[in-house]
Amino acid sequence: MNIVNKKYWFFLLSAIIIIPGIISLAVSGLKPGTDFQSGTTMTVNFQPSVEEGTLRQELTTLKYSDAVVQKEASGDYIITLAGQITTDERAQLEKDLGTSLNTTVTISSYESVAPSVASQTVRNATIAVAVAAVGILLYITFAFRKMPRPLRWGTCAVIALIHDVLVVLGIFSILGWAAGVKVDALFITGMLTVAGYSVHDTIVVFDRIRENMSKRVGGEFAEVVNYSIVQTLVRSLNTSLTVIFVLLALLLLGGSTIHYFVLVLLIGVTTGTYSSIFNASSLLIVWENREWNQWFHSSRKAKVTG
Amino acid sequence: MKKRDTYLFVFVIFLFVLAALIVLPLNGGLLGNKGIQLGLDLKGGTYLVYQVDLSKKDPSMTDAQAMTAIQKTIERRVNAYGVTEPIIQIQGNDRMIVQLPGVKDVNQAVKLIGQTAFLEFREVEVDASGNPVTINNYLSQANLAFIDAKETGPRYFVDDNNNLAAVLQTDSNGNVGFVDANGKALDIATLKQGNTQMSSWIAARGDNGTQLTGSLLTKAAPEVSTQTTGSQADVNISWNSEGTTIFDQIAARLYARPSDSVQRGLGIFLDNALISAPQIQEQHYGGQAIIIGNFTMQSATNLANLLSSGRLNAPLNIIQQTDVDATLGSDSLLLSMRAGLIGIALVVIFMIVFYRWLGVLATSALLVYGAIALAIFKLIPITLTLPGIAGFIISVGMAVDANVLIFERMKEELRLGRTLEAGVAEGFQRAWPSIRDSNASTFITCIILYWFGSTFGTFIVKGFAVTLFLGVAVSMFSAITVTRTFLTAVVSTATGKSIITRGIK
Repeated sequence: MNIVNKKYWFFLLSAIIIIPGIISLAVSGLKPGTDFQSGTTMTVNFQPSVEEGTLRQELTTLKYSDAVVQKEASGDYIITLAGQITTDERAQLEKDLGTSLNTTVTISSYESVAPSVASQTVRNATIAVAVAAVGILLYITFAFRKMPRPLRWGTCAVIALIHDVLVVLGIFSILGWAAGVKVDALFITGMLTVAGYSVHDTIVVFDRIRENMSKRVGGEFAEVVNYSIVQTLVRSLNTSLTVIFVLLALLLLGGSTIHYFVLVLLIGVTTGTYSSIFNASSLLIVWENREWNQWFHSSRKAKVTG
Repeated sequence: MKKRDTYLFVFVIFLFVLAALIVLPLNGGLLGNKGIQLGLDLKGGTYLVYQVDLSKKDPSMTDAQAMTAIQKTIERRVNAYGVTEPIIQIQGNDRMIVQLPGVKDVNQAVKLIGQTAFLEFREVEVDASGNPVTINNYLSQANLAFIDAKETGPRYFVDDNNNLAAVLQTDSNGNVGFVDANGKALDIATLKQGNTQMSSWIAARGDNGTQLTGSLLTKAAPEVSTQTTGSQADVNISWNSEGTTIFDQIAARLYARPSDSVQRGLGIFLDNALISAPQIQEQHYGGQAIIIGNFTMQSATNLANLLSSGRLNAPLNIIQQTDVDATLGSDSLLLSMRAGLIGIALVVIFMIVFYRWLGVLATSALLVYGAIALAIFKLIPITLTLPGIAGFIISVGMAVDANVLIFERMKEELRLGRTLEAGVAEGFQRAWPSIRDSNASTFITCIILYWFGSTFGTFIVKGFAVTLFLGVAVSMFSAITVTRTFLTAVVSTATGKSIITRGIK
């Protein structure tokens, strides 16, 4: 099996997935949830159920013209308000909707966040992401300190990590305008977990390259890398499969509250496995051979065969 | 088996049995500990973050004192409302986190917490011949009518815990009837089953009809007792000029009643709960009074705080609220538990199909892992949230990861022609750096997530970080020690050896 020989095809596949996401991120960004934007979000159940249009109209009548209504697969509605409402206003809204729509109203979940809290959450999330980035970078530098060129290995691991983060961000940006999916504190949690896992996977592969390099001195670098990838391939696939199994079960059968959180992890673990096998180590070869010198020449054939 | 391996094997089995005893049953404990604690998202309830407007507090108090007083006030209100295991924490300088698990009527609970504290003084109602009135006197009436007809305000009846049990009041139609603390009508037959000796507390009023309330109080402070009765401390209170007049008028009236009787006590009610009922011992106080009792400095401070919180007017604003319906919570719990079990079952099947007997070994190690991890969750204890369950389930996947690393390594070593024993030893030794290095990054993210979760008040992120961290930590132990111990034990027997060898090749 020769993986590194087809590395540009794998880079292309990554690009195909990432570029639409980046465009979407640039154009419409991510849709912030209540955690980050402040306001009120509630999941409301109507027994018997009501029409979406009727509900919208009724909310406007009740002076909640800024309310955003979204229907869930379960038949529940998610109503989002831009501001916070008082306990009395909430009780009144519940009562008014029940009376005018002739139905029983149950608010099964309710979340309200003041602007002061939201801006603090944004600040803390930013700090968390920054600290995590620095922490992981430091850790990678530490883990690869015995490598011949720690900076190069670390950079490749970080590129793989950025790749994984971009895939998830891009998909959620697309889901944002396509399906109204919002990002909240749990999303950040999922992203940071994905970042940790991405490095986890890459390290296993890199570790093997390091070991094989010390054993098989003299072998062509690309050869050693390919051999190491193939050696760890079964392991990489098997362990990711076990994590993917449990995540899939949670996604399909688990509670709706963590649906998108699990989706973040599922996408992240999948892309993390992909990038550690097909991208991270191949990048090492690109760098080792300074292949960018050949990119713009007529003969694009890679110098090394595995 | 080597002696050391035998000891290790016994130790792992012992650990497993101990952990299993701690864990089972999940909702209780054979070893006397409580069940696994569930977060608000799983058992339902409400999570509130309040911003306290300290600019409006009593200037004689420090911010910290005011926050403690508010915390006590909320605690008292929540307890009176009957919430089990509420959590009330001060966050930062001016924030209060209130967690109310299992609350049915969220709106009512929220209103109860947010209301301005009300401190009022009451006295025991007496009949025409000066005898104290109890709830029994009313319950035996054919038609409910106030015994002291001059006082038309509500009568309060407090239970053994000094919380409001019943109120006798005139409704909007002019009918006299019993209601509970939340204004719901009470049945007389039910009340007859309860404590019938509860005193009837009516408003303590001055001669002009003004009720003595906390707004007339200017100071309440604990002090070292100057009394010689053996009490260490007392509470010194002062009234403003209006309060001085009213208090003396009430004192003169109550002083005329028999000494050491219930009807000579002045009932201090905070948010409709009786917090103290000191006896009136003088006819004339002149604006200063000392509440003596069997106080320690601590209990005197508590009472003074309660009295102060009655005049505490720092408004509470909700800046964050998360409610989860109890049904949704228990549904989520069931769904996620089932999903988790199915996911774990898939992992087990996969491992056994792929690694045969090694897979069976890994599964047994997984069992030990699960028992130890859950036992730790129970002992710390960790509050389990929905993302927390996800974190735990993911850590199961990662626990298998270490085993896969080891097994793949073993296979390689065996292919290189090593003996089974050597292959096992080599597999573990070589896989260890990878396992250590790869999990370290997860630990780093967990620590950062824990900080992130602690600062912005959502319980949900913290739960995930903690379970994932502990899960991965235990998984490293399980993959290295437990699996190796089991494997060494199996390989030391001839049958085991041949089974494993066939399984690998």
